[in-house]
Order: sequence, then structure tokens, then C-alpha cells
Amino acid sequence: MGHYIELSAFDLFLAVGLIVIASGISLALQLGLTRSLAVAATRCMLQLGAIGLILKKIFQVNSPLLVLAWLALMLYMASREAVRRSRSKYKGIRLDALLTMTFTSLAVGLLVTQVVIKVRPWYDPQYVIPIFGMIFGNSLNGICLCLDRFLEYLRSRRREVELRLCFGATRQEAVIEGARQAVRTGMIPIINNMTVAGIVSLPGMMTGQIVAGASPVQAVAYQIVIMFMIAASNALGSMLLATLAARRLVSHYGVEIDSS
Amino acid sequence: MNTENKRQLASRASASKDPPGWFTCGTISFTDPMGRRLLRGVTLQIDPPCLCVITGPSGSGKTSLLRAIVGLNKANVLERRLGDVIYPDKRLSEWRSKVTLLLQDAPCIPGTIEENLSFPFAFKNSGSHRFSRDEAIKLMEWVGLGHFGLSHSVDGFSGGERHRLSLVRGLVWAPPVLLADEPLAGLEPELAQKCFDLLLDFSRQRPAVVICVLHEERFAKQADLLFRLKDGTLHRT
Repeated sequence: MGHYIELSAFDLFLAVGLIVIASGISLALQLGLTRSLAVAATRCMLQLGAIGLILKKIFQVNSPLLVLAWLALMLYMASREAVRRSRSKYKGIRLDALLTMTFTSLAVGLLVTQVVIKVRPWYDPQYVIPIFGMIFGNSLNGICLCLDRFLEYLRSRRREVELRLCFGATRQEAVIEGARQAVRTGMIPIINNMTVAGIVSLPGMMTGQIVAGASPVQAVAYQIVIMFMIAASNALGSMLLATLAARRLVSHYGVEIDSS
Repeated sequence: MNTENKRQLASRASASKDPPGWFTCGTISFTDPMGRRLLRGVTLQIDPPCLCVITGPSGSGKTSLLRAIVGLNKANVLERRLGDVIYPDKRLSEWRSKVTLLLQDAPCIPGTIEENLSFPFAFKNSGSHRFSRDEAIKLMEWVGLGHFGLSHSVDGFSGGERHRLSLVRGLVWAPPVLLADEPLAGLEPELAQKCFDLLLDFSRQRPAVVICVLHEERFAKQADLLFRLKDGTLHRT
């Protein structure tokens, strides 16, 4: 590891000036965002501050149970957020989202931390927490998009699904086209990100590692692993959630979803 | 014997004089989500070749009856049978590949006419069925859609065109039992007669059981079997 410049409380205080600039613009243009900006900035500081303290504690204690408990909490919050962001809902969506995120993050996260990076001890929070955190955050985006697309398909094209059922399609055959479209939609952001990585933007983790003093080549190596990991978790998560939603919403009787 | 059982027996008797029929579906009871008891123990037992027409006032449950036969609503259906083979609920998709319903509003899938006619042949349940382009072209010409060609998109098809496409889809698929929910809706009288003749021919040549829900009295008279659905039971007329 190389060196990095530590930030003091005074440095943070200076950074508040940046929010003041944004607020000034809001006031000048009468955007009505001053209050929201202040609330958001305060929440951001408090939340990140709390996370910083909690992570510091977890790193110090270095206990596998504590790491697992923290991961479970992140997982729960991510699946809740996925449901909250989804524009349409159905009965059982929370459980489906939780199951999907659990399976996806376990499969991909364990593969990356234990087989690719070979973290030792296996629960080392320095690696395990950020990596799982990135899986949660990114698969959340993927499955939200996928779910929205799939539910939209079932609503707008329920007659087509019924038509297929009428000619002897199994439930899977009746909705496979919708599931394909949904998984494709869930995969598009990561494909775009991989395509422009390093050209249009420097990805967050790589930037962080470079600032923290890692060699750019190592930072790139990590970033590649992370990108591929996100691609896998998006594909797996989208596919799984579409399958679970289809099981719940398409029965032998046809599509059972409100048309609202 | 309670009234319900008497009613069931009455329906059974009205459907066929010598049970068991080759195509058997019943006893069907159905209460719609609004709590109306639309079907009160209906049984159909029909041998091919047969063109059966079901009429009845609006809202009497004709569509519900056809949907119940193929399991597209939550009706209570005791038995579905073709010949000696009984199809329980878990084999519904297989049943539908043999007892196929042409839906009332004749939906299409986005794509070409050929895709719309041939998609069922890709399903697992299609068995040895093979899509015949020649047959499709012949039928499309017969129903007055021949000028489009099979590679034409169905995008922008009118209601009448969709109904004729739906009819051709059913006939190309050629299941042993074809159910059609108002297949002649929105067609000119002459064209409607041509389409009806097509269904009649199909039932004779395959031979098949064809069950149509129709409003037009003049076609009802040409049917082999005519039922009126009233008060939740079938009455032979």
C-alpha cells in the first residue's frame, strides 16, 4: 500500500462550502431545493458518519459473527429498497426479492471473495463488506429494472400469455418472452458500464483504490473482477426474480395480476 | 336427491344421450368474482364429428363455460377426458393442446402472420404436429386474408381480420376439440357463412368436435347439436 492524505474535521468543514455553493444556486434560480439540499446533506453526513463508526468497530472486533450480522442487515435493507423502488408490486414481492438477493449475493460473493481474491481469514471485513456491499447495491439496480419490465409485460400483454396457454403452452413457455425481455433490461446498465469503463468515467472502486495509494494496475485488476461480478449478479438476480415472479403471477388460470 | 344433483343430471342428459362421450368435460360449477353462480353443474359429452353451438343471453356464462373447459378460470371441474385419457389439473397444458380455445377478442402476438400461425408448433406439447405453410396459405385465402402473404405483420389488423386470423390459427393447429368464442364476431354475413362452413368442414374431415358460442340464429340452425345456456344449465334445443 502507498500513502494517502488523511482528511481532518476541518477539511470536511471546508467541503460544506460546496453545499453552500449548490444552495446559493438554488436560491438564485428559485429552485426551491435549498431545504431539500440541506436535509440531504445532513442525512448524508450522519449516515456515512454512523457507517464509518460502525465499520471501524467491526474492523476492530474482527469477528465472523459480527461480519455476517452486518451483511445480513445490508442484505435486508437492499431487498427492501429493491421492492420500494419497483413501480408496481404484487403479493409476496418482498419475499421474492429477499430470496433473490440472498441467493445471488451468496453465490457470486462467495465465489469472488473465497475463490478469486482468496480472502484470509474468510470473513476479513476489509474485503468481504465492501465486496458484498457492491453486489447488493448493483444487483438491486438490476433486479429493480428487471422486475418493472416483467410486471409491465404481464400487465400489458396478458392476452398474449393467455393465447399461448390456450394452445398448450406450459406456464414457462407462456411467459418466456417476457422473462427474456426483463432479464435483458436488467443487464443493460452493467453492459453499458463495462463498455465505457475507463473511457467516459473511472469506476468508483478503482478511483478509491488509487486515491488510497494502490498501484493503478492493481486497482484496474480489482475493478475488472468487480465489473464481472456485477454482471454475473445482475444476470443471476434478474433471471431468478423473473422466475419467482412468474411462479407467483402466472398460474394455469392465466396471469393473476391487477391490471392497475 | 337434492336439486343440485337433479340439475347436474339434467345437463348431462341434455348434452348426450349415450354417455360416456369421447369428449367429456364436467361437472362444471362456476361462481364469478361478483358472486353470481353462472354455471350450476354443466357436463358436456360429445362424440366427433360434431359441430355444437351454444347460445344464450348476454351474461349467461357462455364465455365462462368455454374458459372453464380449458381451465382458464377458477371453475370447479370434476373431470376432463378425451377417449380413455383423463386429464387432471396438472396436465392442463397438455389438455389445452388437444382442446383448444379461440379466445373471444382474438388476440395476436406481435410479429408476422406466419409467426402468429406457427408459434404453437414450438411448444413441448405440440408432439408430432408440424406447421404446414401450404395449408396456412390455403386457409388464409379462403377467409379473405390471402392477399397479405405470410410474411406480413399483424400490426394494425382490424377486429375482423384478427378474428379470421384466430380461426385460421385454430384450423392449422387442428386439435381434436376446437372451442371458439364468437368466432364470427364483426364479420360481413357472407364472410361469416364462409368461416362457419370452414368450421363445419373441419369437424367432418378431421373428424373433430367443434363447440362454438354464437349469437347468430341462422348458424345455430346449421349445427349438429344446439344448446341454450340458461340459469347456469345447458338446455338442448
